[in-house]
Amino acid sequence: MSTETSDVCSLLIVDDSRVSRMMIRAFVLDKHPNWVITEASSGNEALTVVDQKHFDYCTMDINMPGILGTDAAEQILVKHPHLRIAIFSANIQEVLRTRAADLGAQFVAKPVTEKSVNIAISFFKAGRV
Amino acid sequence: MFNLTDLHLDALSEVFNIGAGRAAASLSEIVGEEVKLSVPSVEIRRSEELNVQALQLEQSHFGIVKQQFSGTFSAEASLLFSEESALEIMRDMMGSQMSVEELAEFEQEAMCELGNIILNACLSAMADMLVIQLESSLPTYTVYSADEVIQNIVDLEDQVYILILHINLEIERRQVNGRLIFLFSSGSLSSLRTKIDSFLQNI
Amino acid sequence: MNISTVTPTEIDWSQLFNALNIGLILVDSNGEILLWNEWISKHSGINYLSAINQPLELVFPEKLPAPFVAAIKRCINTKLPVVLSNALHKYPLPLYSPQKSDEKLSQSVILNPIKDNQGNWNCLIQVTDSSASIKREKMLRDHSETHKKDATTDPLTGIYNRRFFDSHYKIEMNQAMRQKTTLSLLMLDIDFFKNYNDHYGHPAGDAAIIAVATCIRTTMKRSSDMVARYGGEEFIVLLPNSTPAAAQMLAENIRSAVEDLKIPHLNSLIAKHMTVSIGVSSFLPGMVVDATTFLKNTDLALYAAKQKGRNQVQFLPL
Repeated sequence: MSTETSDVCSLLIVDDSRVSRMMIRAFVLDKHPNWVITEASSGNEALTVVDQKHFDYCTMDINMPGILGTDAAEQILVKHPHLRIAIFSANIQEVLRTRAADLGAQFVAKPVTEKSVNIAISFFKAGRV
Repeated sequence: MFNLTDLHLDALSEVFNIGAGRAAASLSEIVGEEVKLSVPSVEIRRSEELNVQALQLEQSHFGIVKQQFSGTFSAEASLLFSEESALEIMRDMMGSQMSVEELAEFEQEAMCELGNIILNACLSAMADMLVIQLESSLPTYTVYSADEVIQNIVDLEDQVYILILHINLEIERRQVNGRLIFLFSSGSLSSLRTKIDSFLQNI
Repeated sequence: MNISTVTPTEIDWSQLFNALNIGLILVDSNGEILLWNEWISKHSGINYLSAINQPLELVFPEKLPAPFVAAIKRCINTKLPVVLSNALHKYPLPLYSPQKSDEKLSQSVILNPIKDNQGNWNCLIQVTDSSASIKREKMLRDHSETHKKDATTDPLTGIYNRRFFDSHYKIEMNQAMRQKTTLSLLMLDIDFFKNYNDHYGHPAGDAAIIAVATCIRTTMKRSSDMVARYGGEEFIVLLPNSTPAAAQMLAENIRSAVEDLKIPHLNSLIAKHMTVSIGVSSFLPGMVVDATTFLKNTDLALYAAKQKGRNQVQFLPL
């Protein structure tokens, strides 16, 4: 597994499931052990945290208590348009994929696996030209 | 708490939400509308402590779809909606052109299919993520009173543990609440717990 | 379980298979047909030789519905049985009645995952003519001792009972509010029914209730309208998408139809025959009113009809 020790990026993982956050964290650190990871368990918490710290990337779940993940993503992108967001969801219908695309975010179907996390990571890194 | 920790329940919640996502996609293909299905909470109880309040059964009658599954472990799975909610779902799925008589006639068959889609999606998500083999019986649909629902669970001798999932189903912007209930013997629950532990260890 | 240990070895399985009054198709994980029985041949017009080893999706002249194809894939992937209700999938396969070859057959389908001797998973498609599914539903109901078939019907008159009305009323009310349509209610009461029962006896009273229920039902024209027995001698009619004028007209038709039954009622204080009083009320788009208030208002309308002399229709705006 290639590790790019030169890049230190900051990632925000947003999901109300602790298990999901653990899994995303584990797969990401496996590929990029130097990335700095912060976790949030709701969209509202994410909105607070993005204003306090700088993040390069973000994974966002949709169905969480409080604000919907897609709405949180929309609000975050208004204030931080350079943040690359991957929307992780169990809802695989077209409407949602379109919404993600319209926001400029990457849609990734759950379950959280090495493969699905890699899709997110590729999207993140594609932003760095 | 009762053999399954919060972490175990969290893992199950993730598994069932994946199942819900798949079921929603299948339902959406049938009705031609966006369908949202989510599992906001999972809890585990012992069946003997169940009463109407614990299950939050406020309405008088409930439509229940049941499937028996077996394999790596066995359990009885039930999808529960109040009768009123069941009729609302039927109306949403079959179109408001249907007469009241037709709706009532089709309730049994259509609810069986709805329950089959949701239960199968949850079972297959469990099978995929927890690496287990599961087979299932065909669904049956019955209408019970709230007391009968409790009685049927409490009367079972060897099915001691009950996993209760709250589910939200939204079709055409109308939201309906239901329950997914899994009845396990203590042996089956142990098997399930072992599989969840393996899953968590591999992260 | 080894089939040969439970059945005589002289059995010709293909005869059994083709004699079944159920359609059977077996497809493999690539969607190719492995088995195709006589029932399917008869109802599709496609014989065994033309079907065998062909992809199911290509063997018919019409395209198969996407949800049906998706269900077969799901069955093989999950190895779990799938049911396709006739209610949600009227014609999963292009099948026709053998007697009337242009009449499409309403079907109920069950998919079972079946493993072969090499460990490959296949999908067994069982098709029944939907009218035969009424038998299956009865079987499913018989499995539970507690399900009462008539949980929704009134045993005396055969029309819906109050419990069914109550849940349906809430649904229609929600629908009317969401879709901004009208909903009208009629509440009917047989005039001086207690006097009728006392004078003619309870069996006659029951017969009269049945007669009035039938009369209401036959006067109603639209399939979306429903009538239920609300109380002993009280009925309620729910009219979705019905204007106040149309509701009142129906009410008057019912009132006059009951009068025309000419059921002798010597102890009625207002007529020589059985009559009904009817209260009418309508929920109009934009009204901010809950279901209970609407119901109470209709009750008040009925009360007004009684107060004003009975055997009449009174409309009370919400």
